[in-house]
Amino acid sequence: MALNQTKSLVLATCPACGMLCDDINANDAPTSTCEKSIAFFTQNAVKSTPRIAGKQVNLSEAIAKVTAILKPAKQVLLAGLSTDLAGFRSAYQLADKTNAALAHMNATTTWRNLKVLQSTGWQTTTLTEVKNRADVIVCIGTDVVKHNPRFFERIVWPKKAMFVKNEGRDVIYLGGKGLDTSHGVSPKGKRPTVLPCDPIKLPEVTAALHALVAGKTLNTKQVAGITIKDLVAIAERLKQAKYAVLIWIAKDLDFPHAELTIQQITQTVVTLNETTRAGALAMGGSDGDTTVNYAHTWLSGLAIDQEVLPEHDALIWVNSFSPEKTVPDTGTPTVVIGNPNMKFDNEPDVFIPIATPGLDCAGTMIRVDSNVILPLKQVRETQLPTLAEVFLQVEAAL
Amino acid sequence: MITLLKNGKVYDPAHGKNGVKQDIYIRDGHIIAKPSKTERIHETIDLKDKVVMAGAIDMHSHIGGGKVNIARMMLPEYQETLNYSEPEAHICTPNCSHNATPSTTDAGMRYIEMGYTAAFEPAILPINARQAHLEMGDTPMIDKGGYAMLGNDDYFLRLLAGKANQKTINDYVAWTLHATQTIGIKVVNPGGISAFKFNQRRLDLDENNTYYQVNPRQILKSLSRAVHDLGIAKPLHVHCNNLGAAGNFQTTLDTMGASDGIAMHLTHIQFHSYGKEGDKKFSSAAAEISEAINNNKHITADVGQILFGQTVTASGDNMMQHLNANHANPKKSVIMDIECDGGCGVVPFKYRDENYVNALQWAIGLEIFLSVEDPWRVFLTTDHPNGAPFTSYPHLIRLLMDKSFRDEAFSRLNLDAQAMSNLTAIDREYSLYEIATMTRAGASKLIGLNDRGHLGTGAGADITIYSEQADKEAMFSKPDYVFKDGELVVKNGEVVKVVWGKTHTTKPDYDHGVEKGLRDYFNQYHTVQLDNFKISDDEMAADGRNSIVTHTKPCAKPPINR
Repeated sequence: MALNQTKSLVLATCPACGMLCDDINANDAPTSTCEKSIAFFTQNAVKSTPRIAGKQVNLSEAIAKVTAILKPAKQVLLAGLSTDLAGFRSAYQLADKTNAALAHMNATTTWRNLKVLQSTGWQTTTLTEVKNRADVIVCIGTDVVKHNPRFFERIVWPKKAMFVKNEGRDVIYLGGKGLDTSHGVSPKGKRPTVLPCDPIKLPEVTAALHALVAGKTLNTKQVAGITIKDLVAIAERLKQAKYAVLIWIAKDLDFPHAELTIQQITQTVVTLNETTRAGALAMGGSDGDTTVNYAHTWLSGLAIDQEVLPEHDALIWVNSFSPEKTVPDTGTPTVVIGNPNMKFDNEPDVFIPIATPGLDCAGTMIRVDSNVILPLKQVRETQLPTLAEVFLQVEAAL
Repeated sequence: MITLLKNGKVYDPAHGKNGVKQDIYIRDGHIIAKPSKTERIHETIDLKDKVVMAGAIDMHSHIGGGKVNIARMMLPEYQETLNYSEPEAHICTPNCSHNATPSTTDAGMRYIEMGYTAAFEPAILPINARQAHLEMGDTPMIDKGGYAMLGNDDYFLRLLAGKANQKTINDYVAWTLHATQTIGIKVVNPGGISAFKFNQRRLDLDENNTYYQVNPRQILKSLSRAVHDLGIAKPLHVHCNNLGAAGNFQTTLDTMGASDGIAMHLTHIQFHSYGKEGDKKFSSAAAEISEAINNNKHITADVGQILFGQTVTASGDNMMQHLNANHANPKKSVIMDIECDGGCGVVPFKYRDENYVNALQWAIGLEIFLSVEDPWRVFLTTDHPNGAPFTSYPHLIRLLMDKSFRDEAFSRLNLDAQAMSNLTAIDREYSLYEIATMTRAGASKLIGLNDRGHLGTGAGADITIYSEQADKEAMFSKPDYVFKDGELVVKNGEVVKVVWGKTHTTKPDYDHGVEKGLRDYFNQYHTVQLDNFKISDDEMAADGRNSIVTHTKPCAKPPINR
């Protein structure tokens, strides 16, 4: 007998951020605590047709125009790549056939992390471990909730955990400005430790924390406005923790050579693991960035390109998940394939609206902490083609 | 359409055929009996003097899933080693890519070019099974399958600590096989990966996980029993405690006794056969381990041979890989705790023949190969990529088949290591029949692939044809022809047609009531829905290329005269 024939309520998986919450009741009006999720599942099912220079056409006319753009091009770029696994696989195949380059809209932030992975590596953990084990949670330069709104609700303050009680957890915000630290308050009202600083000062703060955890003494009274006494207290709390978790979000570390700050964080975790247990955790994620990078890695042997817009003379921009994001104007012939709710200041040469994975069609995505791969469900009907269907037709026409 | 392979010298140990001149007929992807005279033969290939074997089966190779992909991502420099020549004891061939982190496409292509038609990913973390299958789904040319890792997951340890009865364990194991679409069960450092999360740094066979108060012996007993009771062909796949530690051979010997005589497979046993004799407190215990394998008929093993050069070690054993990270070369590593399910450790390594420990590891692996008497119970692996990339198999086969070649390589090793090994005293040279046993018939029997690994009527027509050569490395590097499911896919060592293999699974019956406890556990403690943890048959085939073969019943008595 097959396993997946349970009669229970089918819950949807939300691709609006890297956490991929898969407990969304999308059948009724979504009642999530997460605005991103509500916005995703309630976006308009607009009746949209392909357009050439703003003029409505049918799909085959649009495909013909796409091939007319691709054929003379010497270096096609398939970019944006806000899509799921099936979409990316089809993009990879088309790129293979047309010798096109592939790039993701989040490459800059993805590479802040990858540079650390490729330089020293790291010791990391995942969400279920954090939920059940973490007794100290340090959010560095981020409140997390701006990117992953349900992080505290689902992971830090669960109803039950195997090895730690909620009131036994300490939440610390280190660095960052204007953070929403309200989610760090425990269900019984225990307040987090908040030590703000200008994000640009995080390189110094994280280096100081690493030094203190490694047992060094610092001959100064403060770093970036944070007293050494406070930093020493954090270092001691980390060393006493049974399972400390140090969290960052690459998008929030928006300054030159942020990878060096991330490395200070991950090396602090490595040092902690000499005597106790700790894990690093990169959160955030959007637009299928983790999925695209992982699949690119196994298909080609290498991670996704470092550049968001490498050199090209024809551009195909894919944007399934973020209709509000604009298309870069590169001055080259541009095809946009994406969410039917996308708006344009300058209409592209071709626009093909497609089904959104997790809403209009099923799909697959990789969660931001890696290792967890979740199916996306179809929750409504659409006439729109999927990205893979469009690319297959382009391939056939070439 | 019938294809006739005429006049080949057939090595088919499953049917006791040792270089027998025999014709083989293929129709609709299968080997058929000699057709009647009225049936038309559409194509005849004359294989006079050629060596004919079933397609080879790699029963342990890390080809898909989280840690392999982390290795790719961490080590972009490995993509530049394609034409790298190694000045050490590893003697290169053009086919030896040295690439320890091939892309999925490369992996499939390199396997089929060597005449391998199936490979099994031995370490599928259940929560990561979907990724492993996605990667294997993108691996062309070969059949795939995997073993699901249990024994460090909190759900199982809670059952064991709560003294759940064996039936409940069995149902959970069966449920896991269904949910993860796998064909076997593996345990890695039993209890140790969990213990590491509670800050234990080593775990011996009879030492308790401090939180659960259960020990590795209990875990092995429970899981081996479950595999046995469920009638799964593949014995419990065991990566012993104390991986890579000097003196660990005693743990390995004791582990053989942990299942009360129920079948177990001890994997990459070379890494678990170390003594601590001598000035350097590191020595070969290959003799003790081989003797124990010879005497314990319920034990099988694959070797996990190391070969010299650059590679990367990717293991579920984050406890021991955390220690090994100190030896990383280049100096970087990834250690992960994963989803209350397991962990992983990815540590790049460069094995060097002038290094005492590495040289002795090389010798220990070969000593085991050559001292285990029964080729049906020892398997040819490098634990790809941990000991070496799988592309070095032809080189390894030559080391086993050619004593003078082996002795020459030995003479280049670190001199202290030479003094600690009796390898040159072993005269054995593997025969073609024994190689076919290890890499075909034995592997198929072990995993329970009824229609693979042999050339009998009804078998899937996965067939590899070589020109016999004195240089066995050259011979096994470049087959003349490879057929996959009856289609000619490789000619003169080059791929002539791209095909997509199947995924082999097993789905034993079980009491579906087990899901109630699992659902409660997922709802309370996990971060995904139980229903999303499970992979359906439809999902496996959703890419339009993959298909599932379910081996519902264990291989009956092996169709074999031994």
